[in-house]
Amino acid sequence: METLLLSLAVVLAAGILPLLANRLFTPIKACYVVLTLLGCGWGIYSLWPLMQLSVPATYTVAWLHPFELRFSLDALSSFFLIPILCVCPLAVLYVFHYMDHKEERQRIGVHLFLFNVLVAAMAMVVLAGNMISFVLAWEMMSISSFFLVLHEYEEKATRKAGYIYLLFTQLGALCIFSGMGVGFAFTQVLDFSALAKLPETAKLWMFCLMLFGFGSKAGIFPIHIWLPYAHPAAPSNTSAVMSGVMIKMGIYGIARFYGLLEISSPLAGQIVLVFGMISGVLGVVYALGKQDIKKLLAYSSVENIGIILIGFGVGMIGAAEGNLPMAIFGFTGGLLHVLNHSIFKSLLFLGAGAVAKQAGTRKIDLLGGLMKRMPLTGKSFLTGSVAISGLPPFNGFVSEFLIYVGAFYGLQLGGVQYVFAMLAILAMALIGGLAAACFTRIVGIVFLGEPRTERTAATQESGWTMTLPLMLLACCCLVIGLWPEPFVQAAFRAYGVMQANLQLDPAQLLEITGKMALGARIFFVLFLAALVSRKLLYRDKVVDSGPTWGCGFTQGTVRIQYTGTSYALSMVEFFRPVVRLSAHYTGISKIFPANPSYETHVDDVAEQALNSGLVTPVQFVLSKLRWIQHGHIQLYIGYIIIAILIALLCI
Amino acid sequence: MASFLSLLLALAAAPLYPGIILKVKAFFAGKKGPPLLIKYYTLWKLLQKGSVYSTSTTFVFKLGPVVSFAAAVLPLLFFPFAGNASLFSFHGDVVLMLYVMGMGRFFTVVAALDTASPFEGMGCAREVFFSTLAELTLFAILILFYRLSGSLSMSSFFSEGNTLTLAGASGALIVLVIVALFMVLLTENSRVPVDDPATHLELTMIHEVMILDHSGPDLALIELGAFYKLFFYAAFIIQLLCPFSLPLSLLNIIFFFILLALVYTAVGVIESIMARFKMNLVPKFILTSFVLGFFAVILTMGVLQ
Repeated sequence: METLLLSLAVVLAAGILPLLANRLFTPIKACYVVLTLLGCGWGIYSLWPLMQLSVPATYTVAWLHPFELRFSLDALSSFFLIPILCVCPLAVLYVFHYMDHKEERQRIGVHLFLFNVLVAAMAMVVLAGNMISFVLAWEMMSISSFFLVLHEYEEKATRKAGYIYLLFTQLGALCIFSGMGVGFAFTQVLDFSALAKLPETAKLWMFCLMLFGFGSKAGIFPIHIWLPYAHPAAPSNTSAVMSGVMIKMGIYGIARFYGLLEISSPLAGQIVLVFGMISGVLGVVYALGKQDIKKLLAYSSVENIGIILIGFGVGMIGAAEGNLPMAIFGFTGGLLHVLNHSIFKSLLFLGAGAVAKQAGTRKIDLLGGLMKRMPLTGKSFLTGSVAISGLPPFNGFVSEFLIYVGAFYGLQLGGVQYVFAMLAILAMALIGGLAAACFTRIVGIVFLGEPRTERTAATQESGWTMTLPLMLLACCCLVIGLWPEPFVQAAFRAYGVMQANLQLDPAQLLEITGKMALGARIFFVLFLAALVSRKLLYRDKVVDSGPTWGCGFTQGTVRIQYTGTSYALSMVEFFRPVVRLSAHYTGISKIFPANPSYETHVDDVAEQALNSGLVTPVQFVLSKLRWIQHGHIQLYIGYIIIAILIALLCI
Repeated sequence: MASFLSLLLALAAAPLYPGIILKVKAFFAGKKGPPLLIKYYTLWKLLQKGSVYSTSTTFVFKLGPVVSFAAAVLPLLFFPFAGNASLFSFHGDVVLMLYVMGMGRFFTVVAALDTASPFEGMGCAREVFFSTLAELTLFAILILFYRLSGSLSMSSFFSEGNTLTLAGASGALIVLVIVALFMVLLTENSRVPVDDPATHLELTMIHEVMILDHSGPDLALIELGAFYKLFFYAAFIIQLLCPFSLPLSLLNIIFFFILLALVYTAVGVIESIMARFKMNLVPKFILTSFVLGFFAVILTMGVLQ
């Protein structure tokens, strides 16, 4: 345990390096990358023996005596540490070529420092063993990520994004702390272990507060609004880690407190499941409607958080109803999806960052034909897209499959739970289909076809430190897809921590996973066989090349290609009641029309509802009170005196 | 042995059946029609040829036919032909089948987008939209089957003791399922009234337009994959229609392959007497199939409580 914390100290020290000595830009950056990689590698190395222990390892610091800091590591913590310690170093490696503007070296130094603070803080969130250390680590994580989002602070959109993010993250923290307050009020200790003794209603209230608080970090619909602002504004290494790893800390919080509270009512599971289904379906529908690659990926994160929560919801209902297979499959699938999503989502964000840097735009409809210009990025991005669509033989399928099986077990239940299980299956099916549509769109429009602008046509492949992490992550997607057993086992052990009082048997889980993996391998072999036979069929054949068949139209330009907007329009229109689709068309009025334009927007209903339902009324009320702030120092002193007087009189 | 034999027979015979559709259509039009083995001749002809690739395309375009072919073969390995145990099966294999077919679709679509043709993009947008809705129907049917049989594998749906046939106790529900499944068959295999494989205008096609630029052995792989996919759905419907309980497994297999012609004839009849729907009617058509499946699911709730 000490070695693990020491490795985090190495990561922090590596972060201080570019902060202090940013004059020697490139060598220091190289040192930073190497040291961080070493720190994370050492962390993984020291994690290994700890994972074999059956009792949680703990480490206590008696700091400020009443508030001791405690860190402990059990299977659930170590499961969440894997993405932190494996994905973050790849994002750090990516930085080497990604942030190469020497004139911005001071800003980059600060950025790199905060990045490592974020990594260490996330590890501490997962390791936290009591409320004080949890709160401390949580706030460190929120604040450092806030400054990371503000990297390009001179742009107005970035400042707005940072502000919205701060608002949501602090609102979430407020709920988490008040949830902990509920717990403290009953138990009178800051320790986690006493929470199981709470009365049932208090447990449910505390869980709902926690769900809201952690949900705002994880990005549950309708409190996901900060995601599509913060991710495009932040640099891509940050958005990869924020989307791939940091929002999972919200999921960790939900999982950890669900386990600690030992809730026995199925209501908690039903709430989680309903939010999961809403986030999943609406997340992917909005992703379909978005123009900006990183906004699209941010909404896709909302969708994947939805899938994870569907898994958790199914598991919670199963545990509450005593349907153990349902609980095991639901939770294991949800947890495994945490790992899977951290892999392919960071891959996609890093890929999108490479595209945005090399091609100079994030707008899907301006890109095209990048597969030829950035082959390595393109191939990894394609792999990530297939994986995130949940298609075999890649990793996304494994976790979605387990959730499906869990939900099908739920059909054995009667009454309301049956309806919930049925809706979970249908929601998963809908999400699966729409996700495939969404990612065929992004791959097809951005990487395939012909470039839509001259700037895009001149794009070149990025440096090796940017492509290597992408390829490594793409390999992980395939490896987990073909050999999922050890990963499923790790997820199952993590689930075992959450449900300490149930006797769980992984035999069935491992049997079905094994057979599913065999099916995926058979498909892979079939694919290879088809590939070889295609090679044989083309032996000694005339292979020619020519232009695409234009269906009789010979004067085509690249601008007649189908755009991403029109590709998604029919699907977005189908969801009309929950998705606002607005179009602005200037029309053609004269014989020689000057500049007609046509624009469509897909607006987020949650954001609009929040704006009209909460922000506008609050602003109206507050504008009436604006006279309090007038700028006269005499009157401010008067306020203070009056306040003191009232306080003296009352106490 | 019987399962291996029937699989080989299925792989070999799948291109025969679409010939029946053409014969039926010719009969309705009062023509003689192409020979029954026309699809074999077509495949053979395509395999002899080389290919022309568009200069816009990349390796993804060449991967499309390969993946979609592999994805069409896999479900047949898990399918219990004529009630014989399938070659592979496990709890949940139906989910794998549906997702593997999704994988095939993903690459067909991506390969089509690779050509930079506006028409192919249009076809892709329709394909992904309609198949998403069709997937909902299939999962509603799986929910019903799980409720009725307590299992989640193709092989145990149709093994002995289960009553997922018209003649079984829940035959009334199976009628709904068969109709819904037939509608999905028409959708997923791009038949009239969803798509018209014989049309001449690229603007109105779905599947055909996506494979416009493929030629030679690539096109042969795609065609063969399409035959297997249609065969899979047809076999699924036939399994629901008939329990296959003849004493000899060989007799069962022969009986099964004869009955299969029924589904193809039905497709041919529909193609002869109906025109293609307007595009905005297609989602309603597919949702109708979902409603049928969902209705059957709701009925089981009432029956079992």
